[in-house]
Amino acid sequence: MGKYILKRLLRGAFSAICVVLIVMILVYSLLDRTVILAADPNYSKMQSNARISYEQSRYEAFGYLDYVPYADYVTELVKSGEITEEERSKVALIGRTVEKDSEEASEYIQKFTEKYRSEGYEVVRLDADARKNGQVKDGGQAALYAVKDVPLLKRALTYFTGMLFVDNIHYVPEETDIGERGLTFTLYDPVYNPTGTEKKFSPAIIGNGTKHKYLLYFDNQFPFIHQNFITLNLGESYTVNRGIDVFTTMNASQGSYVLKEMIYPDTGFVEESADDLHTATYAAGSREVNAVYAERFNDDYTNVITHKTGLSKLGFSFVIGIIEVIIAYILGLSIGLTMAQFKDSWFDKICTVYIMFIIAVPSLAYIFLFKAVGGAVFKLPTLFEVDSKDWKMYILPIISLALPQIANLMKWMRRYMIDQQNSDYVKFARSGGLSEHEIFTKHIWKNAVIPITHGIPGSIIFAMTGAIITERVYSVPGAGNLLTQAINKYDNGVIVGVTLFYATLSVVAIVLGDVLMATVDPRISFTSKAR
Amino acid sequence: MNEKLYNLDHLNMSEEELFSPADRDSMESERITAPRYSYWRSVFRVFFKKKINIVILSLLIFVIAFAYIYPALVPYDPFANLLDPNSKHLSPAKAMDYFGNSIHWILGAGASGEPTFDAIWNGSRISISLAFLCAGINMTIGVVLGAIWGFSKKVDMIMMEVYNIVGNVPSILLISVLAMLFSPTFWTMVFAMTIVGWIGIAYFIRTQVIIIRDREYNLASKCLGTSTFKIAMKNILPFMTSIIVTLLASELPSYISYEVFLAYIGMGMTDMSLGRLIYAAEGAMVTPGWQFEFWSPVAISSIITVVLYVVGQNLGDASDPRTHM
Repeated sequence: MGKYILKRLLRGAFSAICVVLIVMILVYSLLDRTVILAADPNYSKMQSNARISYEQSRYEAFGYLDYVPYADYVTELVKSGEITEEERSKVALIGRTVEKDSEEASEYIQKFTEKYRSEGYEVVRLDADARKNGQVKDGGQAALYAVKDVPLLKRALTYFTGMLFVDNIHYVPEETDIGERGLTFTLYDPVYNPTGTEKKFSPAIIGNGTKHKYLLYFDNQFPFIHQNFITLNLGESYTVNRGIDVFTTMNASQGSYVLKEMIYPDTGFVEESADDLHTATYAAGSREVNAVYAERFNDDYTNVITHKTGLSKLGFSFVIGIIEVIIAYILGLSIGLTMAQFKDSWFDKICTVYIMFIIAVPSLAYIFLFKAVGGAVFKLPTLFEVDSKDWKMYILPIISLALPQIANLMKWMRRYMIDQQNSDYVKFARSGGLSEHEIFTKHIWKNAVIPITHGIPGSIIFAMTGAIITERVYSVPGAGNLLTQAINKYDNGVIVGVTLFYATLSVVAIVLGDVLMATVDPRISFTSKAR
Repeated sequence: MNEKLYNLDHLNMSEEELFSPADRDSMESERITAPRYSYWRSVFRVFFKKKINIVILSLLIFVIAFAYIYPALVPYDPFANLLDPNSKHLSPAKAMDYFGNSIHWILGAGASGEPTFDAIWNGSRISISLAFLCAGINMTIGVVLGAIWGFSKKVDMIMMEVYNIVGNVPSILLISVLAMLFSPTFWTMVFAMTIVGWIGIAYFIRTQVIIIRDREYNLASKCLGTSTFKIAMKNILPFMTSIIVTLLASELPSYISYEVFLAYIGMGMTDMSLGRLIYAAEGAMVTPGWQFEFWSPVAISSIITVVLYVVGQNLGDASDPRTHM
């Protein structure tokens, strides 16, 4: 069994990789990339050569290509010590045309061109865009850059190899002086002991030189013990949630800040703040740029996530989804059973009409219908508020989600029950003198429910990915809309990340469904080859 | 005992003529004297036996005919009243007052003063055409490939992987990419819905084929030397007819619903289909007095889908030979 499941999971992983490849082809190769510029207000303000350079830099930001401006190359040269800081301005200056390049610049431009041409880049030189009187237009300065489209396989490879990030003390660049690198274990977490005088016991591992400051810590949020040694990196968002990882976007709490009096352990600064110091990550040079950080921290681990009142996107979707799944299974199965027991009665007929209504009518129509009825007749809140603690706002989204699932479960439960009723073992049991009730509860029900169990893990897992229409209609800040939002905003990183996440979930859901079915029904075996 | 005697003298026949054994027709004795059975005639006999089916079928024919004939006969210009500020967002009563009593205004006027009634039937025509085209293409490809998929074990191995992969590519993403590549017209929509839509149907048919492929009667047929093609056509296809009709019944309305869904999330086509009408009127739903604009297309699309579904389900029941007794 274990070997079989492993094989299934491996095949699932293979198909998930293929899905990611297809999606990468779709979004990076087939989609027209100019649409991202159409939505960019800065782009329309730019002119001439600056506009072309900006275009390339945006494409790079959205992950389409590798863009190396000449200035970056010169900065690299300065860093590597090939040229000095004084020479820099001369080397970096590009002449209006090739002939007008200074001698030093010309030499390095030649090197730049050769280097990047040999690596397969396209090197573009834009001559200065001048008016008739010789004045250079706004943004018309001469420009030199190299571009190369990221090839699909390389993109996929970097994506998959970078997916699991293992934190290490060499994360911060070696030339940066951050003191002694290493991990320290403490029994008294400084976040809970900011002044150093109280002794509140809470073990933690703190790193220096790593990406995350706290690699292991305890807090009062599920699952209470947290680690940052290995983090999942599904790709970076470009527009939906700028620069934040897709998984964090789904997982971070939303709403307004939870402010409380706190003391920063580094400097002893006291403030009403919502910062969650445990989430601190390294942000190079942040204290130099921002005095706010300098006041609060004495290292560059300043990038923190804040405590917020609401749940995360996944959290909201999951709370609504899991309640809906429980209700749907209880109601759907019991109604389906009753329908089968009283076949062709008025109850069966009314329920059949209901099933037909749900299957045939567009989901949008009945969701709006229930919204209108629930709001006008039952005075339930029809819009969701992140900060509100009112449990009533959950009712309508849950009902809207449950109705189709109940109908579906009713339909299949009735079908399976009736199929079982006509089988030979039931006739035998009846001839053996068992009461109808006994046959029903001991024999038919147990056999009919087996195919139903296959869908249970899937229902639970997909409860957290949310539903597109329901969340939109009731303005639930859940995960269901993430993909449509990303598509509308051309956020390629989120599209790829979310697709991989969903594909993985569906692979796991199907395997778990098979396992559950085999556990419930001992006749089912995946290991034997007899079939 | 009362014996009755017949006098056969008036026949003027000799004794040999009267009592010779009759010729036995060897072919005639082979014929089965049961009433002639025609499959499709029985299907329709069972279907029309229920009075409710006649009512619903006439309703379906009426709705479809109306959706095609009405827009063809009545010219419709959505922007005819664009410049008239008093003509916008009118309830049926007000629209009738303003424009006079005519069939155009029985559902009021929309956001640019267009008659909602005309807009809905133009939209219905587009939506119904989309549903029939997509269902036709997907069902044809799905059933043929599903049958091959079910029959061949080698094809099954490859197709299962393809199914796992294609099934996990979000369809919304695919549709939006195609819409962006070819501009979101009617034909792009048909293409987008059919390029992967058939695989679900093929998978369903594959499972059904596998269930009956290895039944004893097919095994016997195979042993007697029947070709696979003939087994597929004569042994399996008749068994599948009711399944295919039932599947078609749930597929047809699902395309209309899906189109409404896509339009609602802003990824629909540019033609003013039912989905686009609902999307455009979403704001009107919460504005007092304007609700008619929103609920009318919702109601009409629901009626179309329900009628299609019921007719299809009942036809599916009737096409099961076990109900022909």
